[in-house]
Order: sequence, then C-alpha cells, then structure tokens
Amino acid sequence: MIDLKLNHVSKRYRLRREVEGDASQHVLLRKLQSLRRRSEEFWAVRDVTFEVERGEALGIIGHNGAGKSTILKLLSNITAPTTGEITINGRLSALIEVGSGFHPELTGRENIFLNGSILGMRRREIAKKFDSIVDFAGVRQFIDTPVKRYSSGMYVRLGFSIAAHLDPDILLLDEVLAVGDAAFQAKCLRRITELKEAGTTIVFISHDLGAVERLCDRVVLMRRGEIAASGETRAVIAEYQRASADLNAPEQKNEKEALSDRKAKINAVGFYDAEGHELVAAETGGPLIARINYLAHEAVEDAVFELFFYTGNRELLCHLSTEFDARRLDLSAGAGIAEFSCAELGLKPVIYYADATIKQRGALDDLDWQRNCATLRVDPGKMGRGQFYMPHEWRVTQRGGRGERISETSVVNLLDALDEDRATVEIKPS
Amino acid sequence: MSSNVLTTDSMSKPRRVRVLRAPTFSPLSLVGNLRTLWQYRDLLLTLTMHRIKVRYKQSVLGIAWAILQPLSLMLIYTLIFSFIAKVPTGDTPYAIFAYAALLPWTYFATSVGNATNSLVSHSELVTKVYFPREILPLSYVIAALCDFLIASSVMAGLMIHYHVSVTINVLYCVPIILVLTLFIGATTLILSATQVRFRDIGVAVPLLLQLWMFATPVVYPLSAVPERFRALYVLNPMVGTIENFRRTVLQGLAPDFYTLGLSAAVSVVLLLVAYVYFKHVEATVADLV
Repeated sequence: MIDLKLNHVSKRYRLRREVEGDASQHVLLRKLQSLRRRSEEFWAVRDVTFEVERGEALGIIGHNGAGKSTILKLLSNITAPTTGEITINGRLSALIEVGSGFHPELTGRENIFLNGSILGMRRREIAKKFDSIVDFAGVRQFIDTPVKRYSSGMYVRLGFSIAAHLDPDILLLDEVLAVGDAAFQAKCLRRITELKEAGTTIVFISHDLGAVERLCDRVVLMRRGEIAASGETRAVIAEYQRASADLNAPEQKNEKEALSDRKAKINAVGFYDAEGHELVAAETGGPLIARINYLAHEAVEDAVFELFFYTGNRELLCHLSTEFDARRLDLSAGAGIAEFSCAELGLKPVIYYADATIKQRGALDDLDWQRNCATLRVDPGKMGRGQFYMPHEWRVTQRGGRGERISETSVVNLLDALDEDRATVEIKPS
Repeated sequence: MSSNVLTTDSMSKPRRVRVLRAPTFSPLSLVGNLRTLWQYRDLLLTLTMHRIKVRYKQSVLGIAWAILQPLSLMLIYTLIFSFIAKVPTGDTPYAIFAYAALLPWTYFATSVGNATNSLVSHSELVTKVYFPREILPLSYVIAALCDFLIASSVMAGLMIHYHVSVTINVLYCVPIILVLTLFIGATTLILSATQVRFRDIGVAVPLLLQLWMFATPVVYPLSAVPERFRALYVLNPMVGTIENFRRTVLQGLAPDFYTLGLSAAVSVVLLLVAYVYFKHVEATVADLV
C-alpha cells in the first residue's frame, strides 16, 4: 500500500531582481519595467519521483539548498508544485517548528484549541485529548495563564504535545528534534517511535544523520533539487558523506600543483575506534583514533603532521598537531602512519571534513596539504546541548553525611534516556 | 518521566486520498476546495472567537468599541450633514437615518480594513502550516459580523427613542445582510490575495473605503443621486444593501427588489470569481509573503 507518491514533481521559484535600469528614468517607469520583466527562474525541486509505503519511515537528506525544505512544503501543501502531482493517502500532519501559531495573549487552554484547530483537529477531538495534551506537556498548573508568561521550555513542550496528539496517518518531521533539552528530545523521539510502531508512515527531513539512521528504513538523497541517490539507509548516508567530501574539494587539483617539489605526501586519512576498527561514526565523548598514511620520498627532518576539522561551511572547529610537542620527529624515506588518539572526543555531533598536512617545523609551505581528504560523522554520545564536550568528572558531597559517594557517571545520554527513561543516579542519605 | 501512552488507531480510520498539483480553473477543484473548507470549519470558528477575544482583551472599553465606532461616526455626520450642510432625509431624523446606514457600512469597512492584510500578517502561519487560507480573511469578516450584531442593539435603542415603528418587513434584514456578507467575502478575498503581491493595496484601502463610502448612500439618501447616474450607481452592491437595509428597518417598507436583486447578482458572481482567484493565489502564497 502506497501512502505517499510524488510523480515527476517540480517546483519553480521566480527570483525577482531589482532592475538597475537607467537612473535618468522616472522611478515609477523603472518600477513598471521591473514588474514586466520576467524574473530569473530557479528550480528548487526538479522532476522528483518517489513513493513511501504504509508504515515505512523515509529519510530525506541533503545539503542546504538541495530542495529538502521545498519537498517538505510541497508535501504539507503549503505551496503547490509547478508541475507533477503528489498523491497523499490519509491524514498528513507536519511536525514543524512546534509552537508556531501560539498567541501570547491567550492562555494555554485557549492556545491548545487555537493551535489544534490550525493543525487540522476538530474542536471535539481537541476537547477529548485535552487532558492528555496538558499532562504530556506537564503544564497543568499554568493552563489558564497566558502563554506569554510561559518559560521557553513550557512553550516548546506544549507545542510539541499538541502536535504529537494529531494521530496522523502520515507524519512529516522537520528538524524538530533540534529544539529543547536532551530530556525533551528523548521524549519527542520516543513519541515518534511510538507512532512508527503503531504503523504511521513517516517522512523525516533532517541534517542529523544519526537520527535519520536510527529512525528511517530508507533514505532519499537530494542534490540541487534532484534525487541523487535513494535506497537502504546506511548506503545512502555513506554515499552522502562521500559526495560531501568531493563537493567540498573543487580547488584540490591546483593546490597540488603548487606543492610540486615536495619531499612527502599524504595518501589517506582514516578514523578508527579504540579497537582499531574503521568507524562509521564517532560519538561525542567517545574515543577516536585518526591515522594519516604518508609516503616520504626522502628523509624529512623535524616533520610536523596536522589534522584540521571543518564543518560543512568551512568553519575550522579543531586542529590536532604534533607541533606543540617538544619531541622532534625525523622521518626516514618510505611509507608510514601518523596516529592521533583522543580518549574523549570533544567535537559536537555534526559532520566534519578533515584536512591533513605535513610540513617541516618553521617552514612556510606545507610539504603536502590534502583538503577534505576524510569525512568524520560524529553522533551525539555524551552530549546534550552546547558547542563542545568537555571531559569531566563529578561528585556530590552531602552535609552531615558520614560518607561521600563519587560517581563516574556524568552526562545524561540521549540514547540511554530513550531506552530507559533516564540515567538515574541514586544518592542515599545516610 | 511518566509513561504517556497515546492511543493511535490509524489503521482503522477511513482515509481520504488527496492529490496536490498546480492550481487549475476547474469546477471540480472548486468543489474540493469547499469540501476542505468545510473540514476546517472549526478553525474558522476558533479563529473568529480568537479575533474577538484578542481585540478586546487588553482594551479598557472592551466590547463597547463595537458600539462606539458607528455611534461616534453617527454623531459626527449628524453634526456635519444635519446642522452644517442640510441633507434632506424626509421625515426621518438624521441621526437614526445615518446610523441605520453606518451600521452595515461599519461591518463592511471593518471587515475590509482588517482582512486585507490577513495573509501577510499571518505569514508565520502561512509558511508553516497548511489550512484553507480563506479562513484568515473570513474570520475577520465573521468577527465584524458579531460587532455588527452588538452595535444593532443601539439601533434598537435609537428606534425606541425616535418612536420608529417596526413592521414585519424588518425581517428582510436577514437576506439583505446575507447579500452584504457575500459581497464583503468577495471583496476581502480579492483584496487580501492581491495584497500578498502588491502591498500598495494595504496603503490604498483606507482611501478606497473613504471614497467608497461617498459612492454609497450612507450620509445621503439614494434619492439625492441624479436620475441619469443612477443606473450606473446601483451597480455598487453596497447601494442595494445599505439603501434597502435602511428602508426595511426605518421606513418599514419591503425592499426595492430591483436594487437588492442587482446587488445579490453582482455579489454572487464576484464571490465566485474572487474565490477562484484567491485559491489560485493561495497555491503560491507561501512563496511570496
């Protein structure tokens, strides 16, 4: 049974350019001309065809501007396709940006009815689910308070709770999991998993490859408005990671030529876990080993290896180097491996593109500089929020107690929280 | 975390198949659109109540504003057109003559004034959630209709004060207000859809309303319009509705069926055109707001 079908769907946007025109012309005349002029065309989605079966969870991934959000808008009927048609079998709800449609002056109760109706629920249906919505959000105490007095956490919880009670046949998910704290995200994920187990068809559009991999049975990869790949989740995600690396390395060739008289070159960079197995994805707070395979054509004195981690938009986030070590490194001619090992990875969960360099200490030019030679996906491990993970321990000292309990456990793990409510730490007063 | 198990009976529900494609001008899609609108009727109700609540929630005078608006206009116009410039209104006192027309006129002006910007001002909703967009302008129209009903109580008070006797013909008010509502619906659909692309509309509306009021027998009677212009003049659906509203309420006469029929015909045709046009704009409104 097919729940969702896109048949050669395309979406064209017209970009209206300000016409430079002749400055001597009257301003009104120029305005009129700009109205007449056919604006530039841009196909956000071009000839996209795919189907989603009942009960299936389909992921849609791709870079910014690949057409993901346009697909979402088309599916949720916010905007109409230019050509082609979309067939939807059943009630479709989109869980996007929870809380849009709240009115600050109205109370929580009034907003539940307002927001629920906007999302397509009948008043009777809302009344029936009202208690469940309030309890799920945990705002019963404040239900008759205007939502402008709510904390942002309560706001988001209430928004999600309403949306989570839609009981759709087909659920569209945007980056909803990116809001709120770890506990709330776990709650969202749990509800989504529940819906999936109940047979709801899911379309999940996200940057979070880890979440896509956990949730989706199949993935469609979008590139420049078209389907670049589709199929089994792991395979397509791997394809995406490979393609991302290629995409980010256009000027690599020229760079290589500039480094003509090099004594050594970097052949490959790979990432491994503590046991030395090649990694599909590392985890924040987990171990990581990075290996640089190099080849020295002749002996290199006082060599330095460096590894740079960039995000998708070429922001340098982290830099590993042998330079800061007092030890001097002399390489003899031949192949070898430089290994960096981190006990607890501090990088936040996104995709990184690595550059590797080899140079001589103090030299201005690198002997070799490989751009985007490896991709590292980092999944949320010990990280809930923030920019990076800091390795840490903690302890609780209770006054009046005879003993102290020191625990190794530190961070509430999102995945653990999903599996077993929450990692609880027991503190016994003695 | 307490376990909140939500019942999901998605397997048993009957499913509706929808096909989304580029908008077309077909009667079939018109029926489909009306069906969707009917499904979302609760949203129309909720939004209308929301309009009324929000409008009066943080104002001191609250719901009294619905009465104050036409009432103060009535006082001003009475001052101008009854004491300064003498407008002939037969044996009807000018105050009640003006109020009887200002009542439906305020309904029109409030609706148009509020609804024109409705798609643009709800851009955060329009770009994120789907619902039939006509609900946005229409909720303002129904909210204004509620104001109209509240302000009608003053009309009753005035009629008692001026000893205006009511006849059975006052019941014609109902179809007259219905025609007026159809026309208001058509106007707001056209203006709100056009405002998305051309924001000039929003700026022009207050001026347009001002001109329109003087092209409608609000402050003067229809009889004051020269005979040779009248055929053209009555094409304005506000003429047939307002003049007949005053006629049935104040004079206790049956409506003039020619002008009322003409208003009804123009309104119905315009509403059809407006709805089709609105739905056409709706398909891409999220790309423009």
